[in-house]
Amino acid sequence: MNGPLNVIGADAPRSDAHDKTTGRARYTVDFEAPGMLHAMVLRSARSHARLVGVDVREALKLSGVHTVLTGADMADEKMPFYGYFIKDQPILATDRVRYIGDQIAAVAAECQETAAEALRLIRVEYEDLGEAADIETARSDDAPELFPEAPFGIVPQYGKGASAVLRPRRNVCYEFRYTTGSETVFDECAHIFEDEFRFSRMHHLHLEPFVSLCHWHENDEIEIVSSCQNPFPLRKEISRIFAIPENRISVKVPYVGGGFGSKNNCKTEPLALVLSRATGRPVRLCLTAEEGFLTNTQHAAILRLKTGVDADGRIRARRSRIDLDAGAYSDASPLVAEKAGYRITGPYALDHIDTVCACVMTNTAPAGPFRGFGGTQASWAAESQTDMIARRLDMDPYEFRMRNLLDLGQPFVPGESGVDSDLRLGLDVVADAIGYHAPRAPGRGIGLAVGFKDGGGVNKPAQARVKVSTSGDVHLQCGTVELGQGSRTALARIVAEILGCPESRVEFLPIDTRYTPFDQGTNASSGISVMGQAVARAAESVRDQVLEFAERALGAPAETMTLDDWTILKGNESHPLAPMVMLEYGGTGFEFSGDGFHKATNDHDAPLETKCVFWEIGWAGAEVSVDVETGLVRVHKLVVSGDAGRAIHKMVCRGQDEGAALMGLGQALFERMVYDGANLINGNTLSYRVPLAEDLPEVFEAITQEQGHGPGPFGAKGMGEGAMLPVAPAIANAIEDAAGIRLTELPFTPERVLNALSNQQK
Amino acid sequence: MKPISKKARIAVNCSVNGADCSHEVSTSRVLADFLRDDLGLKGTKVSCGRSVCGACTVLIDGAPRAACSAFVFEADGCEIETVEGLEGKQGVPNPLQQAFIRRSAFQCGFCTSGMLMLLWGLLRDNPNPDRAEILRWMSSNTCRCTGYSLIVEAVEEAVREMNRSREAAQ
Repeated sequence: MNGPLNVIGADAPRSDAHDKTTGRARYTVDFEAPGMLHAMVLRSARSHARLVGVDVREALKLSGVHTVLTGADMADEKMPFYGYFIKDQPILATDRVRYIGDQIAAVAAECQETAAEALRLIRVEYEDLGEAADIETARSDDAPELFPEAPFGIVPQYGKGASAVLRPRRNVCYEFRYTTGSETVFDECAHIFEDEFRFSRMHHLHLEPFVSLCHWHENDEIEIVSSCQNPFPLRKEISRIFAIPENRISVKVPYVGGGFGSKNNCKTEPLALVLSRATGRPVRLCLTAEEGFLTNTQHAAILRLKTGVDADGRIRARRSRIDLDAGAYSDASPLVAEKAGYRITGPYALDHIDTVCACVMTNTAPAGPFRGFGGTQASWAAESQTDMIARRLDMDPYEFRMRNLLDLGQPFVPGESGVDSDLRLGLDVVADAIGYHAPRAPGRGIGLAVGFKDGGGVNKPAQARVKVSTSGDVHLQCGTVELGQGSRTALARIVAEILGCPESRVEFLPIDTRYTPFDQGTNASSGISVMGQAVARAAESVRDQVLEFAERALGAPAETMTLDDWTILKGNESHPLAPMVMLEYGGTGFEFSGDGFHKATNDHDAPLETKCVFWEIGWAGAEVSVDVETGLVRVHKLVVSGDAGRAIHKMVCRGQDEGAALMGLGQALFERMVYDGANLINGNTLSYRVPLAEDLPEVFEAITQEQGHGPGPFGAKGMGEGAMLPVAPAIANAIEDAAGIRLTELPFTPERVLNALSNQQK
Repeated sequence: MKPISKKARIAVNCSVNGADCSHEVSTSRVLADFLRDDLGLKGTKVSCGRSVCGACTVLIDGAPRAACSAFVFEADGCEIETVEGLEGKQGVPNPLQQAFIRRSAFQCGFCTSGMLMLLWGLLRDNPNPDRAEILRWMSSNTCRCTGYSLIVEAVEEAVREMNRSREAAQ
């Protein structure tokens, strides 16, 4: 891979540009099937109750209704529960409901209107069990227990220093722990700081709703079209739930209209499938935006940090206790706990770490994967405390970070891979762009933060296939889902660069688990760093096969020839491949096909069993002012930066960071799910405030660094989550710089700002 | 006055992307469903269904409107334009679409049809909007992916391109 690059980094449009700007792009929501029925779900009106009775008789009588199912209809299923490590979420509630929005019954009808009418005819009788609506209530000794009996669950194998337990105490479904070094390091610290931080909870608000079109065929073949991020894990889960072999299940994923983590694992699919099996018809289950709020959310959190700093201003030790609000079902919470716990130190090398992160079950909507995956919570607390410590020690927060940041190549804990970005260089990029070192304008404050997460997933394999037909048309097959992040473009560019052909020659084939090579899912910013390596290997395999074929056909050593737009260049001769292939294989021709595979090596010395594939870093600088009369925080300037290693498409990299940064800005200033007890009071798009164009800071800049140290093809690495991590702490740090108040709870509402200002005056 | 049953049917005559269209629809038929399911124009997307996010924005007599929250009968006698109509007969993307393509002013694409229609409506209303006006108009639609900046740049670029073509034509 030497020499100048032709396709990587080029300014040409994304491959999906035409589809998406002309209305031609097809999403799951656009799919129909002959005889298709429409499904709707009856949801619990109570936060925690025993189901005394569900009467569907009137609903069944309604003309146009094909079936109405309840938990009682799931009695014959072997395993009608799903989840990641813990299988606790029922397809339909059986004995009890655990949150307002829990699924009680489902209707399949000729049209949506009939289904809606049928729902109104279902009668539910509840017997309340008392609610545990938040972390603190749920952890108390007298809280009602959401799961009196243990659901099936596992703890994966962990490496050095990491461990986890299921159900360590009431309403905690999983607790992750990581320790390294001796507790006595605290004794060597001149300063010890203890602080508590609170993290509010957002909904992904992906614009394409949760939707699938599912068909359980008479011969027990299952066909699913779904707006999902992980077709293969979904296939495995469906196979397990219904005891149908994986080779009889087809999961197809077209363009997905946004995920941000929410579209991992089962959402609408198991329910649509049981409705299809009951009716013999394809069933479309498309949730409303309001139901989306009740289906998957981010984790609210309480984070307590005790940090030791020595006399030289070096961060040496951290003890952290983190509680995540997992909601009513475990979903991906154990995995998020793993990451929030692991990432709590931030990008610094500590001699002692003791971190415990618990998933607390509450009677609220299930929390799951969300852009940042525990890293946002960890960075919020860690990078806020970094500034607080610097100020308490009378040090400049920039200098304090510079002193403590990891060196390029240095592992943050024993057994890990070295950090693959120059963190100080990156901090200077944002510090300079925001004008950190210049005198402050009156009333203005500037804050910095460095977000940090391990990227590429844990122990994650990816496979890919590249095929080139006689005429040189390139087929790329892999399971990375195009969610908007530009994966089809980026992966096609890797193939085009290696095969020496224009990007337009490469077609990304539709994903169908029956034909697409295996992949673990589109998450953890793994598209380039993991799948990219598999794709590159597949393309290299094809290129080598073609050159070996040319060696046989042209009688020259393969290494003396090059492949250039389906032509072999041999010295000053050029030999088009199509006629050569037909001469050898006959007129119909041949297809060169290469497979690629990548997975990080298993390593028990690494805390999470494999060394991290790459490090995703987000640097941010924010300039704010605080209106002391109204409590309004205004972000005048926001500069974020990520390190793409090598930018495969510059505009896409910029867009990823800008999108992530604005999500972080919303989280910092106003966006959150508001619960009154267990009742979500803003679970609809009208009252749930998301960032709009008018919320853009006056100066908003995303700087893509290309430091070149990534493990992916051409030095690339993943991005898209990193720029979200540092935004909220950078703004909190800027607020202290501007107004001398420290906010430790998100979001920074005017009310909280005014309270902090009035406490300051006392 | 006797209330009209929601099952009652009503004749609607309108034009959709320049083609005349006569349909009998129920009085409760929603415009977005009519466009997507009756006419097969799937480019118009429905997300929130509450006329908040703007993913379903179409132009009715040149003005942006949330198709998820409009009845078909309201469009009787009107000109409806959807994303499918932006390209023109030769299949050439219009200047705004071209700017979106060049600036990568989309990611997942689910808001894009609505965003294009909204901003095409803006350029009809004012061919030379300043940045503040662009931001004001754009704030009636939600994009969850891009952080909006590249969309703003695309509109500004389209304005420059369209002015250049107008000057060249004079």
